[in-house]
Amino acid sequence: MNLGKFHDKHYKKLLLIPAILIVLSLIYLGIFYSNHQDIIYKDITLTGGTSITVYEQIDLTSLEETLSNELVDLNIREVYDLTTRQQKAVIFETTTDGDEAKSILESHLGYELILGENSDLEFTGSILSNSFYKQLIIAILIAFLFMAIVVFILFRTAIPSVAVIISAFADIVMTLVFIDIIGMKMSTAGIVAFLMLIGYSVDTDILLTTRMIKRKEGTLNQRIKGAMSPGLTMTLTSLFAFLAALFVVKSFSNILTQIFTILVVGLVFDLLNTWITNVSILKWYVERKK
Amino acid sequence: MVCGEEEMKLGFKIWLLIIVFLLSLLSIFGMPIKFMETGVVVTNIDSNNSLFEQGLRQGQIITTINEEKIKDIEEYTRIISSIYPTQEDVKTTILTKTGEYILFGKEFPELIVAKIPKTNIKLGLDLAGGSRALIKAENKSLTREEINDLVDITSNRLNAFGLTDLKVVPTSDLSGNHFMRIEIAGATPKDLKKLISEQGKFEAKIGNETVFEGGNRDIASVGRDAANARIESCGQAASGYACRFSFLITLSGDAAKKHAEITDKLEINTTSEGSYLSEKLDLILDDKLVDSLLIGEGLKGRVETRISISGLGSGATEEEAYETAKEEMKQLQTILMTGSLPYKLEIVKLDTISPLLGEEFINTILLAALVAILVVAIIIFIRYRNWKSSLALVVTTVSEVVIILGIASMIQWNIDLPGIAGILATLGTGIDDLIIILDESTHGTILNLKQRLKRAFTIIMGAYFTSLVSLLPLMWAGAGLLKGFAITTIIGISVGVFITRPAFSEMIRKFKKE
Repeated sequence: MNLGKFHDKHYKKLLLIPAILIVLSLIYLGIFYSNHQDIIYKDITLTGGTSITVYEQIDLTSLEETLSNELVDLNIREVYDLTTRQQKAVIFETTTDGDEAKSILESHLGYELILGENSDLEFTGSILSNSFYKQLIIAILIAFLFMAIVVFILFRTAIPSVAVIISAFADIVMTLVFIDIIGMKMSTAGIVAFLMLIGYSVDTDILLTTRMIKRKEGTLNQRIKGAMSPGLTMTLTSLFAFLAALFVVKSFSNILTQIFTILVVGLVFDLLNTWITNVSILKWYVERKK
Repeated sequence: MVCGEEEMKLGFKIWLLIIVFLLSLLSIFGMPIKFMETGVVVTNIDSNNSLFEQGLRQGQIITTINEEKIKDIEEYTRIISSIYPTQEDVKTTILTKTGEYILFGKEFPELIVAKIPKTNIKLGLDLAGGSRALIKAENKSLTREEINDLVDITSNRLNAFGLTDLKVVPTSDLSGNHFMRIEIAGATPKDLKKLISEQGKFEAKIGNETVFEGGNRDIASVGRDAANARIESCGQAASGYACRFSFLITLSGDAAKKHAEITDKLEINTTSEGSYLSEKLDLILDDKLVDSLLIGEGLKGRVETRISISGLGSGATEEEAYETAKEEMKQLQTILMTGSLPYKLEIVKLDTISPLLGEEFINTILLAALVAILVVAIIIFIRYRNWKSSLALVVTTVSEVVIILGIASMIQWNIDLPGIAGILATLGTGIDDLIIILDESTHGTILNLKQRLKRAFTIIMGAYFTSLVSLLPLMWAGAGLLKGFAITTIIGISVGVFITRPAFSEMIRKFKKE
């Protein structure tokens, strides 16, 4: 029980690690917000714009520069075949309007783009995407609120419930910072991934809280250990499953790649927030009650 | 005794899983089993197709042509192209599962067929290909009633244009904005944008006076068959080629009377090319002149219901001009039949997704799922050193996916990309729950197994309700484009909590007893 004794002595200090990380994250997001007027980089599904997929082999080396002079905020992505690694399609994303972007692209490629045959076009008007974004944020806030209410009903005590909510919140904030640092442009799918993250985060927290607060058998440390074994298995299985899936879909589907990346990052932070943040708060709470 | 009852009750949960699993397979693959059927399925047939008149409809399966059995698309194309086009009229007999259709002519009427789907699973547009548009009124917020009217006119218009595999629905978002969502499966019509967003205000004017407008108030019928609508002549134009189309329409009595009153006031001009009235009949679509027609002197003051409408289509080559003329004619016919929309529209989102990547996409997703489940099974095996439990976990997880797909096929819910993300989310939480069950059952404490499993379920139910409520806002956010995620996840976690996870807990108990 050396580890147990160590933990008994230092668990409050351990809480400093997530506390400092949360504060730093919030400061980072604050600075990010003042620079970009938002807390994430948004892709065209959230800013409005056009995405044109051309199903031809295109040599991008010379094209990229000339195109980026004419298409606003141009972002080019190539899609490869999973087995042969050959270029299958090229995706051009720009905030330029649909028809205009299409004709600019046509003039540089030298052939007509027939939608549904050699190309696809997705256009989202900026008014719609702005309201889209607002609504998804509202959806996340409502989801978070609902989640908090259910957690309160479940445990009927303030501090343990707050602990669950704090760890979910910390998961989201830390993941947001990570996503910003790697410069990922968030799409609607990415926001949905954050919703999924709330679910995964709460799963292990509920397990932990139930074992620590509602159960009476064994010492507190035994109960924490007891929760840790399935809890870690849960998070690690999800983590490795998503990593494996990420490897398969990478370069094939932007949407799924983004969802899996956010989940993988989020689950890593969840390990920290469940087993340090949440455990420490709960331990403190149980010790004080004695 | 209690034990005996217990046994029965225990068996019930696994039985329930087996029954629901089999029913799901039935719902996915159909009865008789779909992938054993041969033939091709009709996906699109125009209402002026002679086969349509005989009763052939979308969704029917063609099994035989001229006593040759059709196995797949290749064979269908081979047979049709071996018969048509011909110099002389030939007779072709087409058999479907329910009826016989006979064709007589030189050309095979336009018919779009596809291979019979192997399952009842309906794929969303982003996987199967098609186009999707979200539309609102320009500078105007529509009421629910106005949107419903708009939906009616638009579906009529698209149907009249010959599109059948489509969905036009009113939809709204969290902030209470109303939109119209159009989804067209399969190929993207070339002028979709024009078709759905142009107001289509058609007027026929003589001088400043409107003689008639598009829509069924003034127009009784629009000729669309070969006898009443055709491309008349093609020739060289200023840049490239141009083809003239014309078709006959029948005016209502009132419109014809108005035509007579206006023409009665006009004078007759006689030129070397013939005698015509002093004013022309101008055909105007959305304030743009389509064509200007001379009116023969014979029509002066006459109540004439049959009127010829014409226009031009141009292109770089003669062939292109011919195709454009055909398209333009079709659009004009559509607008004349359905009338104009009451306000200017704005497309706020327009996506076309070709089915090119669809199949490969699904293979990639299946591969990803397979790899993920394998990874989970290995971790569980390493962790618990029990191959039976690992196997049970894989079986439970796979059956969960099958049941979700089964329910989706049953309620005809289209599986789209957000839906697949939803299934993945379910699997993730599902495996979490199975681990909780497995763990509660392996750690011996003072409580008996049943009590321990019951405790596992209090945790699971807690997690279930938190997930459930967090999904609710997504049902409405973003004009329903993410509803697929919410629906599949809700189906998935509910199936998990009420069917598969209890059954898994049951399996674990059985293993322990042995």
